[in-house]
Amino acid sequence: MAEILVDMRNIEKSYGRVRALRGVNLQIRRGEIVGLLGDNGAGKSTLIKVLSGAVPYTSGEIVIKGRPVRMRSTLDAIANGIETIYQDSALVPQLSIARNLFLGRELRKGPGFLDRMDIDRMNHVAADLLRRVGISKNIPPTTPIGSLSGGERQAVAIARAMYFDSDIIILDEPTNNLGVAETQGVLRFVREARDTGHSCIFIAHNIHHVFQVVDRIVVMRRGAIVADDLSPRTSSIQEVEDIITGEHLAA
Amino acid sequence: MTDRSTTLPPGGASAPGLLRAFIAKPEFGPLVLLVLMLVVFTSINPAFLSLTNIGNALTFTVELGLIALAMTLLMTSGEFDLSVGSVFGFAPVLMWTLFNTGAMALPLAFLVAIGAALLIGWVNGLFVTRLGIPSFLVTLGMLLVVRGTALWLTDGFPQRTWSAGDQWLSQVLVGGFCLGGEGETCTGGLRLYMSLVWFVLLAVLFHYVLTRTRFGNWIQATGGNPGAARNRGVKIGRVKVILFMVSAAMAALAGMISSIRVSAANPNSGTGYELEVIAMVVIGGTVLTGGRGTIVGTVLGVLILRLMRNGIVMIGVPGLAYNIFIGAIILGMMALHSALERRHNAGT
Repeated sequence: MAEILVDMRNIEKSYGRVRALRGVNLQIRRGEIVGLLGDNGAGKSTLIKVLSGAVPYTSGEIVIKGRPVRMRSTLDAIANGIETIYQDSALVPQLSIARNLFLGRELRKGPGFLDRMDIDRMNHVAADLLRRVGISKNIPPTTPIGSLSGGERQAVAIARAMYFDSDIIILDEPTNNLGVAETQGVLRFVREARDTGHSCIFIAHNIHHVFQVVDRIVVMRRGAIVADDLSPRTSSIQEVEDIITGEHLAA
Repeated sequence: MTDRSTTLPPGGASAPGLLRAFIAKPEFGPLVLLVLMLVVFTSINPAFLSLTNIGNALTFTVELGLIALAMTLLMTSGEFDLSVGSVFGFAPVLMWTLFNTGAMALPLAFLVAIGAALLIGWVNGLFVTRLGIPSFLVTLGMLLVVRGTALWLTDGFPQRTWSAGDQWLSQVLVGGFCLGGEGETCTGGLRLYMSLVWFVLLAVLFHYVLTRTRFGNWIQATGGNPGAARNRGVKIGRVKVILFMVSAAMAALAGMISSIRVSAANPNSGTGYELEVIAMVVIGGTVLTGGRGTIVGTVLGVLILRLMRNGIVMIGVPGLAYNIFIGAIILGMMALHSALERRHNAGT
């Protein structure tokens, strides 16, 4: 069995009187892609926000690589090797690919006046990285993110997570609003991330996309995990959909 | 944006590509307009390009220009500051009141005034970032508080500043010097003031900060996508507070320079400057909603508005018609910038 990277134990989260997470237990191992599924309001987003440090949890424990940690901010999560790629808030459209890749961790040229950036080196590394993740077109690293397609943006965000050696990459609806070819591109990047030793948590409404790429499916309903180790190889889409909606209970 | 790392389009190395990249730059429009203005004004009245007129125009230019430099960074981060005009009036009133009453020496009074401005900027920043109130409302409130304080301190009367000439500080800030001319009146030469030197130095510094430094990257990210910036660990609140403080400090510096130059610290001076400064910045190509800013464009915007004011008087248009031209320029430039923006986003 591969090493357990993240162990979320009995996580509770309440917004006032609303219990958004009810004693959630979830483990993520090294090198696996976990699909997190659930209907609207099932608690997927809250769970991801807790793990990425964006919202504090009410009670429970998060253990990362065997060490209990307290997630107080997204920075804590990043420091613990957890990178979250949100749909709308991953990149700055006005900045170049290279400047986005290094945002917050800019390479500096010393001795520099007022923290001068090493723009040449940032461009060089970015160009290298773009080649490595296999963006097919020849896009210079100086291109502003705003002029890239949706799939290319996701690729840049994934490339960034890989470059900074994040153990776990959380992808929140990465295939939304993408065309068929672009979706395949993003799924390929996700597989590549896994093959290079990263784990991924993949959240998507489109269950077909999830089935194409994940190793394990976790289903949430009403703030709790109702299925933890479904395999896309042994379960059918219909079965998973029934669990998501609760139909299997009615049956 | 003047930084090639963010503006060159794909495959932009060829000559037509370079030309296209140059045209796509936000500074291109204002540059063309400035050249056009120089040509038109000079052809109607050749005295427009005389050394005396250039010297005069540059003297007035820098005071608003100093504020515009700081406003560019602030607007790039997605905020703006309406209180700069009243800080422009308040800081010199404070400095000269402290000096004239014998409370302290002029350099110390200068530092106290800059300190007061930094405090004003800090309060602006805290209201915007901690309480989440839009900068329009916060700085509108601060505009009234600061202007009111200046009027109350002085009973509405200007403070005398004519003893300034003997002070080394006033020489450092606005001392005149002559390039190529002769005598007291600088006959045949170009008479310039130290304030222009400060403006040039600060413009270079601000350009460097915005395009080459980590903090500049954070300013652009804060305005471009605050959520993304925060997720990457950029302290967007701190960035904005610092920029509000810089904005107020520059307004104070400009006000004190102006008070020494005109030999009066009027509590009403600077009224309406905030809008003229914002106009200079947006004409130069900085986006009102944040994310993209250019110091080079702002310098062009400053020159355009000040030379327009100077030029239309010299070619005989009634000075009262000035606002018509300024309004038309703003509308025209906004149309141009939005067209370029659409092309830019379309990836062409």
